[in-house]
Amino acid sequence: MRTRDINKETVIREKAIEMIVEHGFEGLSMHKLAKAAGVSVATIYIYFKDREDLIQQLYAEEMQKMVEATLRDFDPESHFDEGLKVQWLNRMNYCFENPYSMFFTEQVKHSPLVDRSNIDTRFLNAMHRFVHRAIERNEIIPLPVEIYWSIAFAPLYQLVKFHIAKSSMPGRPPFILDEEKINLTLSLVIKALKP
Amino acid sequence: MKNNPDRQEFILVFRTNINRKKDVKSLSPLLDGCSEIIRWNIDLSDCDNVLRIEATHPNHEPVIHLVTKAGYNCEELTD
Repeated sequence: MRTRDINKETVIREKAIEMIVEHGFEGLSMHKLAKAAGVSVATIYIYFKDREDLIQQLYAEEMQKMVEATLRDFDPESHFDEGLKVQWLNRMNYCFENPYSMFFTEQVKHSPLVDRSNIDTRFLNAMHRFVHRAIERNEIIPLPVEIYWSIAFAPLYQLVKFHIAKSSMPGRPPFILDEEKINLTLSLVIKALKP
Repeated sequence: MKNNPDRQEFILVFRTNINRKKDVKSLSPLLDGCSEIIRWNIDLSDCDNVLRIEATHPNHEPVIHLVTKAGYNCEELTD
C-alpha cells in the first residue's frame, strides 16, 4: 500500500511549472515530467487526473500563494500612496522569490484554461475596496480598470522582469531593482494617478 | 497497487490505445456500468492514453479484462 508523499508531489509540481515556463504547455508531457521529477508516470497519475487537471491544480495553488503574499500587511482602507507601496513591495518580493510562478500564472491567465471564477474573491474584493476608497477620498482619479491597472502595476512588473532577466536594454549593465528605484518609480506612478 | 487512504479508494492506472473521443464515448457505458468503478477518465493529451480509475478494489485484472474484451489494448502502467 502506498500513501501520498508530500515531497514527491512538491517536486512534481515544481518541475511541471519549470517545464511549462521553459517549453510551453505543449512541452509538458507526463513522460518528461516523470523523468525530471524522478518518479514514474503512474505516480503522477495518482495525484493528477490528466494533463489539464495538473495544469489547473498548479494554477490554483500558485494563485493562492500569490494572493497570500500580496495581501500580507495590506489594509484596503489605507491611504492610496501607502497602500500602493505595500502592494508593490509584496508583489516584487513574491516575484523575486517565485520567478517561475510569475511567468507560469501569466501564461495560464492568457490561455483558455482558466476563467475568473478561479481567482480568490478576497483578493479581488480587497483591490476593489482599496481603489474605490481612494477615489472617494479624492486621492486618485477614477479610471477604467484596465487603464488604472496598467498605470499602477505594469511599470512594476516590467522592472521586475528586467531585474529577473538581469538585463534590460542592449549594452546596459544588469538592472537591479532596489528600494531606491522602486520609490522613484512609485512616486511617478502616484503622480500620474493624482487628480 | 495505489491507494488513497483518506477516501478508501484505490487508484489504478493503465496504458491503453484509446486515443479518440469517439472511443472514450463507446467505452463509457461499459465503465459507467461497473459498480466497482467510482470514477474514471482517460488522458487523451498524453502519449500513453492513460486510463485512470478510482475503484473500490485494488485489482487491475478485472479492468484489463473488461477493456480488452471491448477491443482495446490495456495494460497496467507500472512504476
